[in-house]
Parts: sequence; structure tokens; C-alpha cells
Amino acid sequence: MSTSAQTPAPAGPATRREWLAILARTPRASMKAALDTALDGASPPEFDWLRAPDIGLAMVRGRVGGSGDAFNLGEVTVTRATLRLRVREGRAAVGIAVHMGRDKERATLAALADALLQTPAFEARMQEHLLAPLAARIAENRAQKQARAAGTKVEFFTMVRGD
Amino acid sequence: MLPDKLSSNLRGTDVAGIDLATLTPGFNDTVHDSQGVFRALLDALSRPGKIVSIDAVLPDLEQDGSTAAAHVPMAAFAALLALADYSTPVLLQHEHRGLSDALRFHTGAPLTQDHAQAVFAYLHDAGSMPPLDAFSIGDPETPENAAMLFIRVDSLDDGTPMTWRGPGIRDSHAVHISGVADSFWQERARLASQFPCGIDCYFVHGGSVIGLPRTTRVGVA
Repeated sequence: MSTSAQTPAPAGPATRREWLAILARTPRASMKAALDTALDGASPPEFDWLRAPDIGLAMVRGRVGGSGDAFNLGEVTVTRATLRLRVREGRAAVGIAVHMGRDKERATLAALADALLQTPAFEARMQEHLLAPLAARIAENRAQKQARAAGTKVEFFTMVRGD
Repeated sequence: MLPDKLSSNLRGTDVAGIDLATLTPGFNDTVHDSQGVFRALLDALSRPGKIVSIDAVLPDLEQDGSTAAAHVPMAAFAALLALADYSTPVLLQHEHRGLSDALRFHTGAPLTQDHAQAVFAYLHDAGSMPPLDAFSIGDPETPENAAMLFIRVDSLDDGTPMTWRGPGIRDSHAVHISGVADSFWQERARLASQFPCGIDCYFVHGGSVIGLPRTTRVGVA
């Protein structure tokens, strides 16, 4: 999983790739709270499962130093879900979620959020009230971690022996 | 079975080109519904000639935008959903977008055009079937590698009378399947000498199937 590649702090509205990355890193409680805020008391639209949440294993592969031969790092549990919003006419939005871990409800919420973000009626609200706070939370966590790591930085220098 | 399926799907199975907006949903309860369908299929093959019903487990096909899928009998769709997985290439006699998308998405099964490679085949038109020897009949040491055919027929109880005999049938059983080409029965009879190799078939109509294992001897009355 390329966790470091995309920074989830987009300047403009997030693209689908970015919001999937944000949703994948958000714990269930924050996601539920943010989704409730974004929906503003309205009940979430009805949907059908194309693939009800199920749990399985995925092999994570890695490379030493980013350039060595690929090797199997180990298996992780993965939860995936695919749902489709019920619409009366037009193309139905399909939301997907593939997450590390075994939390089916989190996958459900993320798939629903993904589908709503693709629905014009909800997109603006979702971008503002769901993605922006979640992205900020992730950026804040990252900054905190960096600050903690920076505090342990040690400057090495070599004494030059005087002639 | 699930973890295997999942990891294989994430690794490589190409799901590009599947139109999710019109995809037909699969079983409501994948585990128990597939088990129920599997059990029904097993019953059908253990009692050749008996009409076994496996309907009422799939969401209504017509309602979900996939109009063409409506023509595929529910029983065939359910059977393929329950049996196929990433290791079983499926052959469809006629191109069928709704069915092939649903199979690729829900089961991860690869679709093939090569009859010899197919583990399961869905034959929509029983009147013009490919010759049976095009399909794999297995090897004497691995007879389980034979193909399994799902043949859509016009009716399971209103056709030329036949008498079936063999394992799973006490004395004989009268079967009336309509719409299957005569050449099929001749080709099938010729395979009998190759036992344990051979081909197992299901005749499908609506939500019901009749199983015809390779051991059954068919006589036209």
C-alpha cells in the first residue's frame, strides 16, 4: 500500500483518488461523525449492495529501499464493500471501499461516502463537511508525528584533528 | 474459500470494463445462498431426472436494469454464482454482457472462448450446441477435471419421452426434456465407453434444473 505517495491535503476539491485515500485512513468514529454532520440530519439515501462487506486477506508486497526485488511482506486482513445508490433515473453512483482491518461498518460508511461524493446533489456538502475535516485531521496527525520525530534529531559532526 | 478469492481479485483479476451502474447484484447472503444452491445442485445430480427447484434466492434480474440478463434462467445464474471462482474458466455460448459482467465481478471467474479450457459452460441455445468432444472430459486419473454444462431448455416436463437408468435411479425414470438436439444424445452415448471420464450436465429452465451425470444411461422410448 503506498501510504506516503499522495498527501491527503488537497488545495481544491479532492479528486476521487484523493478522497478514497482519505477515507481509507479515517477511523470509524470520525467517519461516522463527519458523515452525520455532512448529511445534516437527513437520512442517508437508500442503496443496494453489489458486494456486501466481506473480509479476506491480501498479500502486501514490498521492496527494500524502494528499488530492490519485490518480496511478500505479509498478509493483511482487508474489508471490501461495493454499493449502488438507488436512483429513479440516470446513472446510479457506485461507491467502493477497500480497507485494511475487519471493520465492516467502517467499510459501509466509506463506500456510502464515496457514492455520495459522486452524486452532484451531495458533492459540495460532502467535500466541505466530510472530506475537509478528515483531511485536516490526517494532516494534523502527520504534523504531530513529524514534530515528535524532529525532537529526537541528533546532529552528527566530525571533529577535525588540528595539525 | 473467501480469503483466496479476495486476494486473487485484488491481485490480478481484471475487472476493468465492468459497468457497475448496471451490474446485477448477486446473492443477498453469499455464504448461505451459495450453500443452498450447491445442495440443490448436488441433489439434482444424485437423483438424475428429478426436477429440483433452486429459485428465490437471487434479486430479481429484470428489475435491475440488466434487461438482457432476464433471458438467462435464474437457476443457471444462481448455479454459476455458487460454483464458479477464479480457478474455473467459464464459457458462454453466446456473448451476454449482463451475465459475463456479473460472473466476473461476483465470482472472479475468468471467461473463456476455448471449449477445452472451460470448467463450466452455459449453453443458451440447446438446439445448436457445440460438439461434446470439444469440451474437456477429464483424464482417467483426474475425471473431476471434466467440464460441466448448463443447458437452457424450453421445458423440463414437456418433451420427447426418454427413459433414464443408472446410479441414483431406482429401475428407471421417465424424463421429458424438450429442445435438445438429437446429436447431443448420440454424442453423449458415445462418451459412455470412456468412463470414468465424461461430461456432467444440467438442464435449466426458469428456477429449476434436472441433473444428468455421466453415469446415467439415456434411452429414447
